[in-house]
Amino acid sequence: MRYASAILVVGAIISSLGLLRAQTPAGESRSVWDGVYTEEQAKRGEPMYQKECALCHGATLTGGESAPPLTGGAFMANWNGLTMGDLFDRVRKTMPLSNPGRLTRQQDADILAFLLSANKFPAGNAELYRQSEMLREIRFESTKPAAKK
Amino acid sequence: MREKKPKCLHVSMFLIAAGLLLWPVAASSQVHPKDTEWPSYAADLAGTRYRPLDQINASNFSDLEIAWRIKTDNFGDRPEYKLEGTPLMVNGVLYATAGSRRAVIALDPATGELLWIHGEHEGKRGGAAPRQLSGRGLAYWSDGKEERILYVTPGFRLICLNAKNGIRVPGFGNNGEVDLKLNDDQEILPDLITGEIGIQSAPVVAKDTVIIGAAFREGMTPKSMRNNKGYVRGFDVRTGKRLWIFHTIPKKGEFGYDTWEKDSAEYTGNTGVWTQITVDEQLGLVYLPVESPTSDYYGGHRPGNNLFGESLVCVDLKTGERKWHFQLVHHPLWDMDISSAPILADITVDGKSVKAVAQPTKQGFLYVSDRVTGKPIWPIPEKPVEVGTVPGEWYSPTQPIPSKPPAYSRNGVSVDDLIDFTPALREQAKEIVSKYHLGPVFTPPSASILEGPLGTLTMGTASGGTNWPGGSYDPETHIVYVYACNSCIEPIGLVPAPKEVSDLKYVAGTAGRTVEILHGPGENAGADSPKPPKRSAGGGYTRLDVDGLPLVKPPYGTITAINLDKGEFAWQIAHGETEDVVRNSEVLKGMSIPRTGQETYNIGTLVTKTLVVAGEGHVTTTADHPRGSMLRAYDKATGKEVGAVFMPAPQTGSPMTYMVNGKQYIVVAVSGGPYSGEYIAYTLPTAGE
Repeated sequence: MRYASAILVVGAIISSLGLLRAQTPAGESRSVWDGVYTEEQAKRGEPMYQKECALCHGATLTGGESAPPLTGGAFMANWNGLTMGDLFDRVRKTMPLSNPGRLTRQQDADILAFLLSANKFPAGNAELYRQSEMLREIRFESTKPAAKK
Repeated sequence: MREKKPKCLHVSMFLIAAGLLLWPVAASSQVHPKDTEWPSYAADLAGTRYRPLDQINASNFSDLEIAWRIKTDNFGDRPEYKLEGTPLMVNGVLYATAGSRRAVIALDPATGELLWIHGEHEGKRGGAAPRQLSGRGLAYWSDGKEERILYVTPGFRLICLNAKNGIRVPGFGNNGEVDLKLNDDQEILPDLITGEIGIQSAPVVAKDTVIIGAAFREGMTPKSMRNNKGYVRGFDVRTGKRLWIFHTIPKKGEFGYDTWEKDSAEYTGNTGVWTQITVDEQLGLVYLPVESPTSDYYGGHRPGNNLFGESLVCVDLKTGERKWHFQLVHHPLWDMDISSAPILADITVDGKSVKAVAQPTKQGFLYVSDRVTGKPIWPIPEKPVEVGTVPGEWYSPTQPIPSKPPAYSRNGVSVDDLIDFTPALREQAKEIVSKYHLGPVFTPPSASILEGPLGTLTMGTASGGTNWPGGSYDPETHIVYVYACNSCIEPIGLVPAPKEVSDLKYVAGTAGRTVEILHGPGENAGADSPKPPKRSAGGGYTRLDVDGLPLVKPPYGTITAINLDKGEFAWQIAHGETEDVVRNSEVLKGMSIPRTGQETYNIGTLVTKTLVVAGEGHVTTTADHPRGSMLRAYDKATGKEVGAVFMPAPQTGSPMTYMVNGKQYIVVAVSGGPYSGEYIAYTLPTAGE
């Protein structure tokens, strides 16, 4: 019985995922090149970055002996092909180092908006989400798509 | 504030299978039994990262399979994404530091089964530590009867464990611990809990002496010119008693004090030894690679050459007394430190045997000296260098520049170094760098000005070049193998520090941006900035790439083989798959681009009888493999790649190898991005599988 219900649950999840996928039109898929944060939000995030992150990751985001860079090749390669949700969850789970999760979701989102801005991804009209599941719909792509040049 | 005594995790310390600990090591008939083990961080005290094993070789490397793996998520109260350890394997047990608690784990080296675990709960003291997470490893000691494991906690306490069960050794220090914030010839300020000092490297044990250095927070924008000092100490491995101390910043009356003008030795701090220490047990000499003084990029408060900042110092193993020193960088201004283990090499130069020490560096020079006298093997003349214009700074007019071997990675930035896949890309890159001051090695930092220069564009400085993983050495062929980032660009600009931010005149920063006090993890809010100029978000930041493509041309990361008998390169190769951003670039479509290597600085190498082994530091997705990184093997004679095996994440800790029950294993730490720390052991498939 137990197994049967487990199979049913798994089956339901799989079919609902399939349904979700089917309902998402291809055109609505977004990436960090689509203006997923606002300038105002990045401005809020910058002093927060400098206060909470820069000691280890560097004032210019180039990293240090104890922390990886948040700009340039290594950063882009680490996250390329993943989503802003992956990056956001990583920050939520582990940063700031001494007391992870001390910052609010909004503060984390503002800091990420600043990171996108400093990395010259374009700003847009809506703020970067603070919900992981919504952020997972935004692809992190290090290369600017050809059509958007 | 009184220090709360850290809690020892007796509850989480458990012996899983004591009986398994005494398995005999089945040595291969071809190799010396000791060659099957990896008893210290760099394989031996000479810093070689070399084992003459050859079961895994060019003919079968690509057949490697995962023998076992262990995630480190549960060795701490949160997962760790920067696992930098290299395990030890000795007397049939594998030991490693792991997880955000820097726990010590003992594993069965054939199966990965957990034998015991030890963790220390340090509360606020651990949380305030300047160097957190699992660190780089630990040390093993035995007198033939007793076996001990030594490591330093994030909160800077030296812990001595019984290697058989992970329980503290009661007769060592205070019930198995020595508080390293005490008995340091200085008062660690402001208090024992938050006082800034720690270490992440592995301790070294030589002839019953444990040697421990010190590390601090990143020194780019410190709050003060004053800081704790990073002295080096030797302790008795049996009792924990301090045997000696070496003052990396000399005290009044000691040699070198006069290299700190205006009594600046009194208050300047840092100048620790945060990386691996090397020992010649036979000669009874210890080689200390000393880092930068406070602060990394501005030295106006410490006029003079600043001994022993960025010096290789040789001290006596028994007394800590200085035998000789060689300052690689006078009056350090580039955060070059000395970032990795000195390598001991018995070489033959012009027909004469020489006991040498070779020091890889962030600046891409391999400094080679006689390790008894400190005299350079090939001349290292003082050469005039640019004198900067930052107000209040003191400049050394010359720096020592090795005549041999040549620099093995870029250590300056010129227009010739810029990306040149197409003329248009070169032009874009020129436009970006036009805002910066460029120059060769030792071009000094610039005061940042909005109209330009925003700073000095450097390579071979904070990141390197060769950073903490260091190099490897083959004692049979006298060849050093060393990885280096060849594209890690560091803009160094200085801005006046508002008084509420720092008591230094200048700190690292960029014109047009607010200078913020840089808070350590867990510190509370600080001062507001002085009226910032109006700017848009991200203003003042220059993305130092060209539409995602690296600003400089390939190779982005290299492995170089350097013949120490001759002071010449045997070979140099690009290490690492071509970056996705290059392979998938629309602009570069149709172009044939040889493997570029990768822009990363924390790759360590392993040398075996026939191979040089190193993993990649970046993730790629190619037709040959899904999103991940490769562990690669090169023919050590030619640099030709002979095999590769998939890893789910980049290499973040240097690989090691050992043999047990007749099988050779390679263990490597992987992590990064969204992938939490994991040790993975590779071995060959058993016949018939």
